[in-house]
Amino acid sequence: MFNYIRAEIYKLLHRPYTYIALGVMMALEALYASMFAFHNAHSMATPFGGAIITIIEMGAIGFCTCLLTGDIVFAGQYKNSTLKNEVSFGLSRTQIYLGKFLAQTLLSIVYLVVMMAFFLGLCAVCLPMESESAAFYATSEALAIVGYFLSVGLPLWIGAQAALCMCLFLVNGEMASSFLYVGIVFVLESFIDLAGLLIQGPVGNALLKAVPYFPVRMLNGAKSVVGDVSYLGRAWLVGAFWVIVCTVVGLYGFNRKEIK
Amino acid sequence: MNENTAVMATYGLQKAYGSCKALDGVNMLVRRGDVYGLVGRNGAGKTTLMRMITGQSEPSGGEMELFGASGKNMRSQRTRTGAMIEIPSFSPFLTAQENLEYYRLQRGIPGRHVVDEVLEQVDLANTGKKKFKSFSLGMKQRLGLALALMNHPDFLVLDEPINGLDPEGVAEFRQILRTLNQERQTTILISSHILSELSNVATRYGFMEQGRLLEEISAEALHDKCRTCLRLEVDDAAKAAAVLQSELGTDKFEVLPNNVVQLYACLDDPKQASYALARNGVALLAMEQKGADLEAYFLDLIGGGRHV
Repeated sequence: MFNYIRAEIYKLLHRPYTYIALGVMMALEALYASMFAFHNAHSMATPFGGAIITIIEMGAIGFCTCLLTGDIVFAGQYKNSTLKNEVSFGLSRTQIYLGKFLAQTLLSIVYLVVMMAFFLGLCAVCLPMESESAAFYATSEALAIVGYFLSVGLPLWIGAQAALCMCLFLVNGEMASSFLYVGIVFVLESFIDLAGLLIQGPVGNALLKAVPYFPVRMLNGAKSVVGDVSYLGRAWLVGAFWVIVCTVVGLYGFNRKEIK
Repeated sequence: MNENTAVMATYGLQKAYGSCKALDGVNMLVRRGDVYGLVGRNGAGKTTLMRMITGQSEPSGGEMELFGASGKNMRSQRTRTGAMIEIPSFSPFLTAQENLEYYRLQRGIPGRHVVDEVLEQVDLANTGKKKFKSFSLGMKQRLGLALALMNHPDFLVLDEPINGLDPEGVAEFRQILRTLNQERQTTILISSHILSELSNVATRYGFMEQGRLLEEISAEALHDKCRTCLRLEVDDAAKAAAVLQSELGTDKFEVLPNNVVQLYACLDDPKQASYALARNGVALLAMEQKGADLEAYFLDLIGGGRHV
């Protein structure tokens, strides 16, 4: 497994896409931060805390970034028919699957750290650290909220990454995999919610109870319970559940799949 | 299976896609040191068989052994193999060197020099920063071969490996195979539509048609079967044999059923044989010069003149 991940990292480091994707996202962050700076130059001064607190409204970006990191790591394995090179050498499909998932997760975490550090650094440089207005969070308070939000988000994003990995291995073609992923992570919860409302009795109740455990819903819920350790624990359990279920389903399917 | 002799064997191997039988009870044996030429038309099942050997596809029935291991144990034995199945596939955005380095790391093959050596071996050492997506088909074939050779395999599985190679490349490729087989005792399973080229390297052949292995034969036996002869159809084969011995002083003939004698002498002057038989009262009903190459033999075997 170590060799496999080492090889994946080698490929990532030699792929322009890795740097271009990160560069584009950092450019968007820079644009976002500069909007605060520009706004500050003309009217009220949004401080550091007021800017970074907006991160908690952007949890969905983490789920979308999974699509990017998944695509970068999977690198068109079906389209380019490169899986046969790995299988024919005797690498186990479980190793291939887990290796890709771990590499995706590693890349996601690196992206998250770099993007957060860049955005926080940029805000620290461009914006005033404190404001006299009571409308904004103080720096320490904002950092605590963002930290809590990221702590809840991390396992949920990894769970979503596992869902994407499953889609990439089970469906030929990145586009179709991406649609399936969007369906599972973003749309399925709405269907279950609706089904829960339409179906009467214990089944409907069970469906309604399941909805809050979908990653996007769970992350959005974190905004209203900042500091709640039990919610944080539940988020990690939900993330672990998604990782396990998606990995088991993905491995089951991939082990039976013909490599063409 | 005896590890000393057999590298790969299949027993009644089957593969079905719906109602279509891609492989239908294939019994095949590849011995250590063989260069096994797999011959068959498009759709005969050659690639399907190779994909199963390399783990890309699972059989629907029958058994398969690789280096004496079967079932799930075959997977670990695949590290002793090198394979190039169908069109070579690599990451398009990496160079030849980067692609091989990726697989070297992935397979845990020690030493970066391995990549340079194998690229040198297939004449791709000077491709520099050219990405795989810009490679010609011949270059892709060479890179595929480089990957197959990188782990110094005991068993090479090559599916149409000389497609797209120029004449010089074909000659180099032939030399590489010979060197591997003779100096490293690498066993090779190779399929090709270019039968003349296959006949230059193969020591054993398997002929496939419609998912079945029609015949396995050694190169020597095939050579014997294909060698040029005079086919004499007479009224009394025993008497004709005696005449050929006494009058022409040769025992280079075979007596076949239906009063047919195959004579491997007098090929330059067939009338010697006809005169001798006539003088001794043997009626010569028909005489033809017969000989076949690999292609003719295969076409004869599948019972038609359709192209391979």
